[in-house]
Amino acid sequence: MLVSRLGRGALAVWLVLPLVPLLLWAAADRWSAPALLPQAWGTTGLAEARAAGAGPAAVRSAVLGTAVAVLATPLGALAGRALTSGALRAPGLVFAVLLSPLVLPPFAVALGLDVLLLRLRVPAEVGLVLLLTVAAIPYTTVVMRAAYAAHDRHHDEEARLLGASAWQVVRSVHLPLLAPAVAGAAFLAFLVGWSDYVVTLLVGGGRLVTLPLLVGAAASATGNDAQVAVLALSAVLPPVALLVVIGSIGRRARR
Amino acid sequence: MSGSLQLTGLTRVHTAGAPPALDDLTLAVPAGSCVAVLGPSGSGKSTVLRLTAGLDAPTRGTVHLDGRDLAGVVPERRGMAMVFQRPLLFPHLSVRDNVGFADRVRGLPRREVRERAEHHLELVQLGGFGNRPARALSGGQAQRVALARALAAEPRVLLLDEPFSALDTGLRQEMHELLADLRLRLAPTVLLVTHDPAEADALADTVAVLDAGRLQQLGPMRELYARPRSLAVSRLLGGRTEVPGTVTGGRHRSALGDLELPAPAPEGPGVLVVRPEAVTLVAAADADARGTVVQVRRRGLRALVTVEVAGRGTEPAAVAAELPPGAEVPVGAEVGLRIPVTARCVVPPAGLSEARDGASAHDRQR
Repeated sequence: MLVSRLGRGALAVWLVLPLVPLLLWAAADRWSAPALLPQAWGTTGLAEARAAGAGPAAVRSAVLGTAVAVLATPLGALAGRALTSGALRAPGLVFAVLLSPLVLPPFAVALGLDVLLLRLRVPAEVGLVLLLTVAAIPYTTVVMRAAYAAHDRHHDEEARLLGASAWQVVRSVHLPLLAPAVAGAAFLAFLVGWSDYVVTLLVGGGRLVTLPLLVGAAASATGNDAQVAVLALSAVLPPVALLVVIGSIGRRARR
Repeated sequence: MSGSLQLTGLTRVHTAGAPPALDDLTLAVPAGSCVAVLGPSGSGKSTVLRLTAGLDAPTRGTVHLDGRDLAGVVPERRGMAMVFQRPLLFPHLSVRDNVGFADRVRGLPRREVRERAEHHLELVQLGGFGNRPARALSGGQAQRVALARALAAEPRVLLLDEPFSALDTGLRQEMHELLADLRLRLAPTVLLVTHDPAEADALADTVAVLDAGRLQQLGPMRELYARPRSLAVSRLLGGRTEVPGTVTGGRHRSALGDLELPAPAPEGPGVLVVRPEAVTLVAAADADARGTVVQVRRRGLRALVTVEVAGRGTEPAAVAAELPPGAEVPVGAEVGLRIPVTARCVVPPAGLSEARDGASAHDRQR
């Protein structure tokens, strides 16, 4: 009991501690070296971040994350279902191929594919979504495979025998039972799009500015720590909020 | 509401080259009757239900419901409902929404769905349980809800796949009574699959014994008990006595002696099978055979004894007998056995039963 409480405490410190200086910096107008706390509080950081285009960048990141989630989640669900159906001859091999984007260095893959996309005259935005979807499929596949392995197909059969059409089975039995897993897979895929830096930089050629790009650019310059802190927080907080929402969905489904 | 079901030559090969899981099954389930398919695990009995329900397609053969061929008809349009061994209640729905599932996908108005669900819950004696979440039920309650859900779909045929075998003995008895009661009230057509002869006996009008994918025998349970056609059927129904011998001129010769048979049997080698309930222990003077008690097993108030009869120049024979309640006999006692003529039945020896099955299948085709 005590050990588990200590463990939970340590975990909370581990997760929250890095955010503390960020929060302080975000609200600091002046904070020079020896002082424990900022000498002057203010909203300069916020104003600078907005001036740097944090708002549109966040919208772009959100659109990118959503597009990746919308594409990678159903694909991962189909793959997870196929992998557990017993219909594949070598499910282990197929699974390894689907996971391969995790193993390959994204920089190399993105660089190579960027050339291909340019030659094919695929618009940068479309190419970016495609590449990040491929990068997100391993996550959605792993989550959905586990969900389908635990899913009892007899529920679907029972529903059909009670008169439900294939589509009604999906809507009223299949999806509700798999909702927590779908939400989890979609969240991971969203994160891939939301937080990507390397692929966006290469494929977008620096013209497609998302939040991570903005954070990277601001952090590589000096003397604007408050702005960097605000940008970093605006990159961290939306996923955390999303996670809380998804967690509550999962809890409701388990009840 | 109840339809009549006709399975004809139903065959299913799961993987090409492997022996069929179900081989040429022909079976009629008249409207309002209950037919049980009885068999050990792996006998293909669940395959019968899956083919009937349209969950799997038969390799050969047809399923007719009220004269209409169901080939190519999807499961949801077959007018059947199935109760599996596990309740399979939808865990995200309340008990009422589970029972109302069929009506809801049929598009009935919400209020009517609700009323009909309550009605069906009352039928299985779970009135007032509607608001509970499906996962908050005990095993027996959950299986009742599963039954109510299937009945609420108003199936023309109700398919039951070992629905009570996961329940403990007391609950199973209750469910048998409940189902018997529902049959009286609603007269559904029921096709039941079970491995338990007692369950088939309690619920079904006609029983089809299935072994290794083939129909072994079809008839009322009494007939199967009294006149099994093969060793497999006799064993599946709990027959213990198997005395090898030869049939000549309507009499069976074996270690038990020369016994008259009630019905003509094919000449040649044959195994005498007798139900333990039919055998009585008597004084040596009235006995058909004499032997020594070698084993006594308790079965509640009754004892099941095994009597070994030494043969003259043949293998000794073991005969099982069930004693009347309260009667006792010690191991080692010399006893006389009385086997009523009507209880004697001769089946082909193990190796020959295959050949004769082939012949009877041939007869059926002609």
